Amino acid sequence: MGWFGILSEKPWIPEAQGTSAEWGRTAYTPAVKISLRFMLGIISVFFLLFFVTFISRSQYDDFLALAGEPWQPFTNSMRLWINSGVLVLASVAMQGAVYALRRNQNLRLLCLLAIGAVLAALFIILQISVWQFLAGMGYSVAGNPANSYFYILTGLHVLHLVGGLVALSRVVYSLREEGDLQNRHAAIEACAVYWHYLLGLWFVLFFMLTRTPETYALIAAACGLG
Amino acid sequence: MTHIAIADQTAHLHHPKTFIGKYIWSQDHKVIAIQYSVTAIFVGLIALLLSVLMRLQLGFPGQFNFISPDAYLQFVTMHGMIMVIYLLTALLLGGFGNYLIPLMVGTRDMVFPYLNMLSYWFYLVSVIVLMSSFFVTGGPTGAGWTLYPPQSILAGTPGSGSGIVLMLLSLAIFIVAFTMGGLNYVTTIFQARTRGMTLMRMPLTIWGILTATILGLLAFPALLVSAIMMLFDALLGTSFFMPAIVSLGEPLNHEGGSPILFQHLFWFFGHPEVYIVALPAFGMVSDVLSVHARKNIFGYRMMVWAIVVIGGLSFVVWAHHMYVSGMNPYFGFFFATTTLIIAVPTAIKVYNWVLTLWLGNIHLTVPMLFAIGFIFTFTHGGLSGLFLGNVVVDLPLSDTFFVVAHFHMVMGVSPIMVLFAALYHWFPLVSGKQLHTGLGKLHFWGTFLGTYAIYLPMHYLGFLGVPRRYYALGDTSFIPESAHVLNEDITIAAIIVALFQLVFVVNVIWTLRSGPRSVRNPWGVASLEWHTPDVPPAHGNWGDALPTVHRWAYDYSVPGAKHDFIPQHVAEENVEYEAGGRRVGEGE
Repeated sequence: MGWFGILSEKPWIPEAQGTSAEWGRTAYTPAVKISLRFMLGIISVFFLLFFVTFISRSQYDDFLALAGEPWQPFTNSMRLWINSGVLVLASVAMQGAVYALRRNQNLRLLCLLAIGAVLAALFIILQISVWQFLAGMGYSVAGNPANSYFYILTGLHVLHLVGGLVALSRVVYSLREEGDLQNRHAAIEACAVYWHYLLGLWFVLFFMLTRTPETYALIAAACGLG
Repeated sequence: MTHIAIADQTAHLHHPKTFIGKYIWSQDHKVIAIQYSVTAIFVGLIALLLSVLMRLQLGFPGQFNFISPDAYLQFVTMHGMIMVIYLLTALLLGGFGNYLIPLMVGTRDMVFPYLNMLSYWFYLVSVIVLMSSFFVTGGPTGAGWTLYPPQSILAGTPGSGSGIVLMLLSLAIFIVAFTMGGLNYVTTIFQARTRGMTLMRMPLTIWGILTATILGLLAFPALLVSAIMMLFDALLGTSFFMPAIVSLGEPLNHEGGSPILFQHLFWFFGHPEVYIVALPAFGMVSDVLSVHARKNIFGYRMMVWAIVVIGGLSFVVWAHHMYVSGMNPYFGFFFATTTLIIAVPTAIKVYNWVLTLWLGNIHLTVPMLFAIGFIFTFTHGGLSGLFLGNVVVDLPLSDTFFVVAHFHMVMGVSPIMVLFAALYHWFPLVSGKQLHTGLGKLHFWGTFLGTYAIYLPMHYLGFLGVPRRYYALGDTSFIPESAHVLNEDITIAAIIVALFQLVFVVNVIWTLRSGPRSVRNPWGVASLEWHTPDVPPAHGNWGDALPTVHRWAYDYSVPGAKHDFIPQHVAEENVEYEAGGRRVGEGE
């Protein structure tokens, strides 16, 4: 039943006698799946608000984009492509873990989860090296709003990844215990979805943070912020 | 949609064995709710004290040496922030949400009890961080509860050093706490309802809490984003919100930031926040009115729709808080229009409350008095909102006491009326004892009449042009002497109202210590929470088996039924009807 149907119910009408059985179980959605949907919604709103301020701020005169001219750090964004590759592999490993889970290949599952975690950790280290690279070129946090946004947004993305690693370690730890199989499956699948989400978010960040001033002007105009 | 009870086996529950496990690091939603409530009421009393100090200064300027201009601004700021976030949001959602959701939808606990416990402890840390700002050099921030940059982080504003940083940190921690709690509330409601508890059979309290939680989950990120960016501006010298500026004769390193951007972010959170507070209050007052009028809530379906529509609209009205900041006139028109549209579902709710009372069997119990009081205060506060929603009326009134009177009536007094209605109503469930009725009525009349004595004259001060936020008015030709007298009267009324709150505190302490035990379900409530095997509900809530729900929560005075209410878990075949009374299927 869709939302309109639900909100059109007339609960004041008493049920007919003996009909209580029809409230039997419908499709079961594990709690972790529902809460993940909400959490991804919250994170999306969180970053979306940052993007709105970013695009708005990019139209001020003092904003110096990080790409566009040969001397700017991300005119050649090879470093970020390498990092992206690592995160893609992490995501692939997590998806592999989900397939292993469905086929009850426990050893393979654990290996792939470990690979997913290690690659995510490697991505974090590589991001830190990007910050060092930027700082080394004199692009400090307070130097320009474009730098500030780069540090703050990639930093928050890394923090979300750290949160994912903590959650994943809890899920792996809980695999040792007896528990509801359906919930354990849902927890691992949720971790994989979270990895994919952070990968997608990274590509959006990558795109947003390394554009030229002309592209920002175009986006701002399209959003009515120009 | 699913309505499957989680873990209908008590073995899945967390079973604490030690005192610390039961009452300190508790994962039981009821204990967490009480922890939330006690903490929130404690900080609320501090905020109440701050408001009395403010009023002393306004009523009797220059008489109290310890209230300096800086201290006054700090009192204003801390009073506002504590009341809105740390009292109202925490008590309504952390307190009542935690207590009532599992009991009203028929689960044994929240779906993530551990996360729920963490939520409270993060909340407590946020409170401690906030309170610690009273003890740092420079004291708490005095930037006003809206924390507008650039002044909030510039030297010269009280608490512009550590005070503002602690405030922003505290808010960030609070948001993390709220998110953990909020995820629990929505997931529990969507996933763990007991058999038969369809969404449209949920009491309106749950609808209010659910919608408010979703609003909070989507709106608090805006505050978090602004807090993070402002922390960067304050601590690392970035220029997100800070324009090129000269402070105390010195040019600062900031350049090009936009203070207006902060305002948009802040109010994108700030307006839904009004409804984060109001919607649970709407829900709870609906239930209290229905129970104590012994009549089903009028227009249940319309009430649900109104809650959902108000929730949606609350995201597209934020800039009506910013008319004086200046904006494109078309935007002003847009936001004025959406603001007035939101009055439609809100008015539907008020009509339905009144129509619930119409021809009801009204019991003037203490909860009912507070609930009826709410209808008055909310209607008055709402009507003055219609004035302020219009740009041309708002501009001259915005910086006057008219606004203070408006938002205190609609967002201060009204939710607090509901909170008291709810506290008196559910106290027998939580404690097994009933608060003293005489003291309760004394508390109600003192609070109800007293708050009117404070805020009605304040509207008049606003019309006179008395500015808000000012430490002292000084010699101002356009403000007549009578306004100063009125200010004194308001202060005296405020002190009296504050003292009347002590009646409530005494009532609670006396009842808990030596009050008589309450009878089971003293108000004759049909919803699930009053029908647990034990009262107060034991750990796991429902004994051996979860209840099955057969009807909505408002079967009061059903024609032909032998008793004046039919609990939600009673099947139609078990309802006792008088001879010739209603039978199933008749008249639908």
